[in-house]
Amino acid sequence: MPANALPGVSRRRVWVNTATKRIVAAGGIAVICAIALIIGYLLWVVLPMLAPASIKLHSSHDLSLETALQVASDDRFETVTIIHSDGRVEFRDSTSFDLVDEVNLIEAVLKSAKPVFPTADTYAALTEENDLVFFKVTHTIRFDGGDRRRIENRAEVLFESSAVPLMDVLDHDVFRGSAELRVAALASDGTITIHEYEDVEDSYELDEPRKLEIEPWGRNTKDLQILLGPRGRWLYEVDESTGDYRLIDIATIRRFHIAAEGSLVGQNDKFLLLAPILGRYSFLVATESGRLDHWSLGPTPSGSDFRKIREFYFASPIGKVVAEHRRKGFLAIDRTGGAHLGFTTSRRLLASASLGEIPRIVDFSPRGDRLLAIGSEATNVYKVSNKHPEISWSTLWGKVWYEGYEDPVFSWQSSSADTDFESKFSLQPLLFGTIKAAFYAMLIATPLAIMGAIYTAVFMSPGMRNWIKPGIEIMAALPTVILGFLAGLWLAPIVEKHLTSVLLLFIVLPIGVFLFALVVQLLPRTISKRFDGWLAALTIPVLVLLAYVTINNDAWISNLIFGMDAKLWFYEKAGIDYDQRNALIIGLAMGLAVIPTIFSISEDAIYGVPQHLVEGSLALGATQWQTLIRVVLLTASPGIFSAVMIGLGRAVGETMIVLMATGNTPIMDFNIFQGMRTFAANIAVEMPESEVGSTHFRILFLTAFVLFVLTFLFNTIAEVVRHRLRKRYGNL
Amino acid sequence: MSLGSWIKSGDPWIWMTASAVGACIVAVLGLLGLIAVNGLAHFWPADVVSLRYKNDLGEFILAGEVVQRETISRDQFLEASPNRGNVDGAEFERWMIKSGNRKFDPPDFRWIFEHEVVEQQKNEEMIVFERAEWGNAYGTLVAIRERGAEIASSYSWDELQDRIGRVEQLRNQARKIQKGSINRINYKLEQLRLEEQRRNLREEERIAKLERNQERLSQLSDAERSRLLTFNIETADLEERRRKLNDEYGLEELRLRNIHGQLDRDEIEIKIADGRTISIGLRDIIRAWQPNKMSIGQKIAHYFSSIWVFLSQDSREANTEGGVFPALFGTVLMVLLMSVLVTPFGVIAALYLREYAKQGPFVQLIRIAVNNLAGVPSIVYGVFGLGFFIYLVGGSIDDLFFKAAQPAPTFGTPGLMWASLTLALLTVPVVIVSTEEGLTRIPNALREGSLALGATKAETLFRIVLPMASPSILTGVILAIARAAGEVAPLMLVGVVKLAPTLPIDGNFPFLHLDRKFMHLGFHIYDVGFQSPNVDAARPLVFATALLLVLIIIALNLTAITLRNRLEARYRGALI
Repeated sequence: MPANALPGVSRRRVWVNTATKRIVAAGGIAVICAIALIIGYLLWVVLPMLAPASIKLHSSHDLSLETALQVASDDRFETVTIIHSDGRVEFRDSTSFDLVDEVNLIEAVLKSAKPVFPTADTYAALTEENDLVFFKVTHTIRFDGGDRRRIENRAEVLFESSAVPLMDVLDHDVFRGSAELRVAALASDGTITIHEYEDVEDSYELDEPRKLEIEPWGRNTKDLQILLGPRGRWLYEVDESTGDYRLIDIATIRRFHIAAEGSLVGQNDKFLLLAPILGRYSFLVATESGRLDHWSLGPTPSGSDFRKIREFYFASPIGKVVAEHRRKGFLAIDRTGGAHLGFTTSRRLLASASLGEIPRIVDFSPRGDRLLAIGSEATNVYKVSNKHPEISWSTLWGKVWYEGYEDPVFSWQSSSADTDFESKFSLQPLLFGTIKAAFYAMLIATPLAIMGAIYTAVFMSPGMRNWIKPGIEIMAALPTVILGFLAGLWLAPIVEKHLTSVLLLFIVLPIGVFLFALVVQLLPRTISKRFDGWLAALTIPVLVLLAYVTINNDAWISNLIFGMDAKLWFYEKAGIDYDQRNALIIGLAMGLAVIPTIFSISEDAIYGVPQHLVEGSLALGATQWQTLIRVVLLTASPGIFSAVMIGLGRAVGETMIVLMATGNTPIMDFNIFQGMRTFAANIAVEMPESEVGSTHFRILFLTAFVLFVLTFLFNTIAEVVRHRLRKRYGNL
Repeated sequence: MSLGSWIKSGDPWIWMTASAVGACIVAVLGLLGLIAVNGLAHFWPADVVSLRYKNDLGEFILAGEVVQRETISRDQFLEASPNRGNVDGAEFERWMIKSGNRKFDPPDFRWIFEHEVVEQQKNEEMIVFERAEWGNAYGTLVAIRERGAEIASSYSWDELQDRIGRVEQLRNQARKIQKGSINRINYKLEQLRLEEQRRNLREEERIAKLERNQERLSQLSDAERSRLLTFNIETADLEERRRKLNDEYGLEELRLRNIHGQLDRDEIEIKIADGRTISIGLRDIIRAWQPNKMSIGQKIAHYFSSIWVFLSQDSREANTEGGVFPALFGTVLMVLLMSVLVTPFGVIAALYLREYAKQGPFVQLIRIAVNNLAGVPSIVYGVFGLGFFIYLVGGSIDDLFFKAAQPAPTFGTPGLMWASLTLALLTVPVVIVSTEEGLTRIPNALREGSLALGATKAETLFRIVLPMASPSILTGVILAIARAAGEVAPLMLVGVVKLAPTLPIDGNFPFLHLDRKFMHLGFHIYDVGFQSPNVDAARPLVFATALLLVLIIIALNLTAITLRNRLEARYRGALI
């Protein structure tokens, strides 16, 4: 009933009462919402990875730009650069397509203007006189007096106008590294000449080149296409009529070496075109049957060769392929003008749209969010929304055949200094590492903790128990960073030095205790009776002494068992490499961190077994041990199970110990002498460097979410089981 | 009893379970002992031994502290020194000598084999110099020079101490200026810059608004229009204040330079073990002591003063030397802020769940969820804190209130506030669970009695329920604090740095800077132990830091346990 119905209750008291109620309710619900927010937010970050990609017409302009040879755009897609065959460079506003600037760059008619691999802003223009002229396009943002933003567009010829005379050329390609410029040119007699210029900087003049001539292949030279490969160290030569190829190693400019020859198409198929993917470690090959095969340069037993690593299929043959500038994505346009957005690593076709025709010139914007297509009648800009093409279920959890690999593998390698790096986002090695770390930790913690709990709950004298329980609780609060530090800097070197004896301890200690028990057993009952309840204290000197003696005689024991150093033996006989910070260390250190959790909960469960059950069993003539196994443990088993689950949850999510006591290499090797990388440690290592909103960022959130779900699951199972247990005791 | 029946009786298994407890005790005590011994030994002024040793490379003289002794097998000996196979013996004892003198006689740690030592002695006059950079130096005093002129010779130990005292005073003065007035001036200058930026932004906004309002623009005359559209901000007052501050700055800098000039006055010459004479500016010396001459009383006094230095001073040399005060301060402050946040929310949530919410399957579900959250890995909270608090909330705060400081983030970057909030979220289940437990213990009869006497529900809550539950609330908060003090993983994402230039509390308004990054004992251990280039030199300090952290956490936990026991004892009578 409302309080104001009662006499003598002032309005103030009523007000306080209602206010309290509201505040508590609001606060309580807020806290609960905050907790729910965690799941919600993690998902909110993860889910955009699943957003579908799209290509949509953004703007259409009535321009056919017939003389255009090449288009490009700046980083934010504000200015479009168009290179014309009359040597002009036009800068147009990306939205209105109005002319902003124009430069008469080269006084000659251009046959082609190709981007210099792998730069984004340098071009090599081939004049009709077969001179190769290099120029660079830059867009600089300037702030004028009144803080007005203005883009300054420039195009300038490099190397002080000194052109490279190619004389007679059918096809050419240019590579520009940090210290060299390589020009490959195919002459009409089929000879390929490589010119290498050293130490090129924008303003320097080109010095005398070093030359390398590659003999003709003996094919119809009109059909040949040449392409410089990764870091300018390879030359790809393809016969477009047959789809045959030569892979030529030109790493040193002094001599060449034909690394491989072969065919890129099947027996009854016809080669259509070849398009390199970012970095040119791999390329796509379109054929008449509508296939688009992904070939990669990679190691083979005999050296290097192209391998077909995945295939795409289309209804209509592909007539044009353009690659993205910063990722391993591409756009394939079929003969009907249908454009298909694809990604190589994840083998996904993400979106399709009709362009109406195969445009004469197509290019992505640098960020891959716009597509510029110059067609026969109009110039169109398409908006591409394609944020996370790298991700698919199979790239996260399955084996992926990455560029430059011999086989499909599970690999986690999120970033690299190279811009053309193919990110490897397989979660499998991390999951494996997490399981491995938890497994070894549980292997050591579970028996120790449960046995300890049994003794403490059943046999220990109350005097000792009063000390042990809080002691173990304090152990649970020990910061894991300290355990990790000790494990990594103190324990790991000791274990490495005394490997044999440390391994032997797992056998020596139980046997030693057994023998000691036998000796005590032989003492008169009047004496041994006094030890009841204090056995644990009694075993301490035995354990310490045995451990001390074993560790200190490591060299002798090692010689006795292996005849040499244990690490050496493992390496020579079993081929097992020893990592100083390995799973054994993790097992010991994280085991120590997990023991208190398991111990406390299972001790409570065992201690809570109703006394009348125990007494009944003993009264029926069972020994203490039989009572324990058949009655106590059986009754307490759900509680022990839940203790193990909670311990497992802790082991799975532990960060600092793993971070400090392993090498954090994401390998998949269950060997106890090797390290691992877990989800938690991976987050700690990579999260601070991850770019907000990137695929990597979202994947790290996904791993956090997986960790959350895993531990939540373990804990819920434990909770449900414990709940059942409580009910069962209620019945007893 | 025969062996067979003994085994059958299960007694050996009981022994096994006992030994499991034994092993756990050994592990815990061993661990604590290891930390304690190593951490405490760090401060002891160990004697400096002078060694003469001889091996196939020649004869050497070395002075330093013996930090470790160990016995290695012949294999390991040969591995360490492959060309000494002609030495007999199955085992070798080697000593790790901290010989210091980095910079002029590296390396500062060396292994010496006992059998190679020809002569060892303790020179009474040996002095340990704690240097501001490059670690300790060991040597005997040859001369003290003032402005290049020799004023005292080697026996004047007191003279040296006086001059070190003077240098320390000067150094303190310099620090006071640096951290006090110069820091304050810099802060004000930054505030001025922000003020100017704010005016810029306002002006830009005004013009942009005007430009949008074409209608009004068209009514204006050309002159008026261009006047209104010209970017024009008033900065004279700011300039005036800036000039004043710059003047002040110049003055302080002059004072600082003066002190630095005085610091350079004295120089000493020491003779190091190999006979060379080295001169060191006294400004580089923080302390000097003669361990071989000290009585046990003096050593103890020195020991405690070292501990005090460790607790009260800044760290030096990429955290490998000096004290841990900023880390200790950061830890305590962050934990305090966290408990201020977690206590009310935890208690209110528990009150809601237990006293106000309608009990049913839904509340039960929430209860299980809250319970489970305590088991969610801390790194997940760190990820959440980074994404939600820092990037989302902090980023929005910056956009709304700190536009002038952009592109430098204010709250959109890891900092003290976000770290405290994240840890509060991490520990709120602990407080909820503990408080709820306390609330369940209170018999309903007490509540009903209070209500029957005419108290409102709120009054019952404040007068009966909360006081009775207070010990368990306190237990929960202490456990939360203990957990928060030891967490490192989430902090690495949300605010901890290895070296913070300023403490989060200082004399500049608003005194408590929630946006600043801070240092933390746990992260200090991780950073110094694993990221520092000279692990041997850093290790004792890491042990000392670990000991400090362990002590804090054990003290907190013991308080919680004691409270819980008292609570149990107190209500055992009342609740029946």
